[in-house]
Amino acid sequence: MSQVEHDDAGPPAASTAPGAQRPKRPRPSPFLVGGFAGLLAMTIATGADWEFGIGFSLIEVWDGFTRSNSPMRGLAEIDLGSLLGSRARDGFLETVQMAVISTIAGALVALPLALFNSKLGAPNRVAYALVKLFNNIIRSIPDLLWALLFVAAVGIGALPGILALFFFSIGVVTKLTSDTIDGIDHGPVEAARASGASHLQVLRVAVVPQVLPAYTSFSMYCFELNLRASAVLGFVGAGGIGAVIDFYRGQGQWDRVWGVVVGFLIVVIVVERISMALRRRLL
Amino acid sequence: MTGTQAPTAAEKRFEQAVRPEKPFNWFRLIVTAGVVGGFLIGALSVDANWPRLTEMPGELWNMAVLMFGELDLADVPDAAESMWESVAIAWLGTMIAAVLSFPLAFLAAQNISGRVSVGVTRQLLNVPRAIPEIIFAVALIPIFGLGPLAGTIAIGLSSTGTIGKLSAEIIEGSQRGPIEAADASGATTLQRIRWAVLPQVMPEIIAFWLYRFEINIRASAVLGVVGAGGIGTMLQQNIEFREWGTAGMALIVVVLVTIVIDTVSGMIRRRIIRGPKTKTSSARDTRTDAMF
Amino acid sequence: MIRFDQATVTYRGGVTALDHVDVEIPDGEFVVIVGLSGAGKSTLIRAVNGLVPLTSGTVNVGDRDVGQLTKRQLRALRADVGMIFQHFNLVDRTTVLNNVLMGRLNRVPSWRSMLGWWGGDEVELAMQSLEVVEIVDKAYIRAANLSGGQQQRVGIARALAQQPSVLLADEPVASLDPPTSHSVMRYLQKVNRELGITTLVNLHFLDLAREYADRIIGLRGGRVMFDGPGSAADEKVFEKIYGRSLTADDVLEAEASL
Repeated sequence: MSQVEHDDAGPPAASTAPGAQRPKRPRPSPFLVGGFAGLLAMTIATGADWEFGIGFSLIEVWDGFTRSNSPMRGLAEIDLGSLLGSRARDGFLETVQMAVISTIAGALVALPLALFNSKLGAPNRVAYALVKLFNNIIRSIPDLLWALLFVAAVGIGALPGILALFFFSIGVVTKLTSDTIDGIDHGPVEAARASGASHLQVLRVAVVPQVLPAYTSFSMYCFELNLRASAVLGFVGAGGIGAVIDFYRGQGQWDRVWGVVVGFLIVVIVVERISMALRRRLL
Repeated sequence: MTGTQAPTAAEKRFEQAVRPEKPFNWFRLIVTAGVVGGFLIGALSVDANWPRLTEMPGELWNMAVLMFGELDLADVPDAAESMWESVAIAWLGTMIAAVLSFPLAFLAAQNISGRVSVGVTRQLLNVPRAIPEIIFAVALIPIFGLGPLAGTIAIGLSSTGTIGKLSAEIIEGSQRGPIEAADASGATTLQRIRWAVLPQVMPEIIAFWLYRFEINIRASAVLGVVGAGGIGTMLQQNIEFREWGTAGMALIVVVLVTIVIDTVSGMIRRRIIRGPKTKTSSARDTRTDAMF
Repeated sequence: MIRFDQATVTYRGGVTALDHVDVEIPDGEFVVIVGLSGAGKSTLIRAVNGLVPLTSGTVNVGDRDVGQLTKRQLRALRADVGMIFQHFNLVDRTTVLNNVLMGRLNRVPSWRSMLGWWGGDEVELAMQSLEVVEIVDKAYIRAANLSGGQQQRVGIARALAQQPSVLLADEPVASLDPPTSHSVMRYLQKVNRELGITTLVNLHFLDLAREYADRIIGLRGGRVMFDGPGSAADEKVFEKIYGRSLTADDVLEAEASL
């Protein structure tokens, strides 16, 4: 306890002594009342069946799940054999290739950007503001939207997928790493400056070594994210295992869809476990 | 030793000094080889149309010019309405996930439930965490039809995993003292949860619901790409049919609304975690601040 | 009456915290238990309300054998035995009143306690408990905003709200500064004298023990080394209990003068 307030050290009065007045029950705070009202209003406005609501109904949900439907029938007859086909194999391979290339390229670009994206590392205010703006815009666009734009720019296939994940990686690694730079020990930075180092030299000898473990860890984390994201890029024509899932879905072969999804889950979980073990060692 | 011999002694000392050999850094070699090799092998083997990469900067520039040069304010009402649907999907989806994950979180918390319950619930929560929303959405569309209902349920199911896991971790992080005090006063398990655990964890759990709502807005903005409602449909169709001005306006609305909601929600979250302002500054839980 | 009969507790890992303890505490007595940390003080106190089960032997509270109770009976016993903790164990984020009402959990129907529908009687009792420790004015303030001494008084009020016949206090002043320590000890003494509640207090400081105890029990290595009136416990006795000569750390006032 940090408080220094001492209790009255005098002898306690008899329990019947007229002590302090009982306080009145305070009214609930405006924040609590407002928050609860806002929550209720938002839920009704979005859920009700009116012009601007989506008309959410539990009965409809219940009917949907209890009615016979092809995706759930497919789940019951899941076809893990589809994993062995050449289509799935190529899809998985492409997914891993896309994730590897885009993570490495994105992380390399992200390191200098991260330095400039922190108050400590930026050479001047203009560079700081520009990098910050660039990074905020990159991060506010979802990965699938990037893919949509690149498919329009360079046509369908793995290339737009790689480009989408590349930009997505830049955003993630830059943000996480620059947050770390703000928290590093300023001692070495001061020492480097005192020895007459230039700004870039200071960054190289005093800042980069301090953030390198965290940066590596974030890059690996980003690889996990990219692997997961690559499962959906195929839905807009940007390659990877998502294209295979989309193909089987188009054919109505839900048993195969679920087979591929299970395979994908296994890959993601295995990679996540390995990456987490490595990252724990790193930090 | 005399004075004239001193420089020689110093020289000798340098000559005799055993300098450690520079150790060979295997780790660095392996990492470098892995990164460079991985990149090259990946880049050469992948079936990507690399030559088109040279066209990309020009294409992107053209697109940007078309998108933001042909903006038409007449598109704003449409874009706003579609974005509102995305927000609605994200909100209701988060609500569904909050309701579903709440009991599961207690079943998955080691300081509340037994080992079997924790193990089973944890695994149950892991599955939706690993599946992207879009996959839930495409599986739900044949059941609920094209439109926001499929998107809402997709967001709800996939967020249940993350919210459940994090809520369980928050519950496990609660102080043991009040729980012991509840036990010592003869409380049942439910009473212990209600009076010793809930008051400790509720602010953080609610703050995480809000945080997840922010993330879900990003997800629901693209669900329309597969036809599950929201502004994604508008983006996808206008990009596909090269209606660049309309696509640009939709993009601007997405980015602006996302940033505004992030800011407002972030303020509310910080206020929830901090608790009501008081005269004396009380000790704050910095752990949760670091988390968000 | 609380009776320990050959009470023994051995923890997993083989540490014996209580070693064949025989003690009888008549109703209404103010007992202070002293000993070094690890001597078994906390275990002795927690054996009374069953938070630590005995490995062998028995503890009886009144006519109830703690080891033989069903879960429901054990909860009823705990409701009858109030407890105060070293670190107060309040829920920081909720009000003082809600913390005190925790003491009523065993006496209200479960569904009502879930919804927080406390009856007027329950609130009245909680308020009265707060009045005994003179902190009723803070009833609607969040516990986090109180000083350490105030938090411990709320801890006492929570125990009193149980309308207990026995009060257990586990190092109630170890986290407090000297003046506050005396204040809390005086409240415990007042509760004991005015409400006639049997009180067991673990203490580390021997001057506090001598000042407030009717009776002192000294533990060392889980065994009773001394059992007698506070006035009979001189330095020799304490050196026997502690197994070493006394230091400044063993008394509260010396610490205060540092």
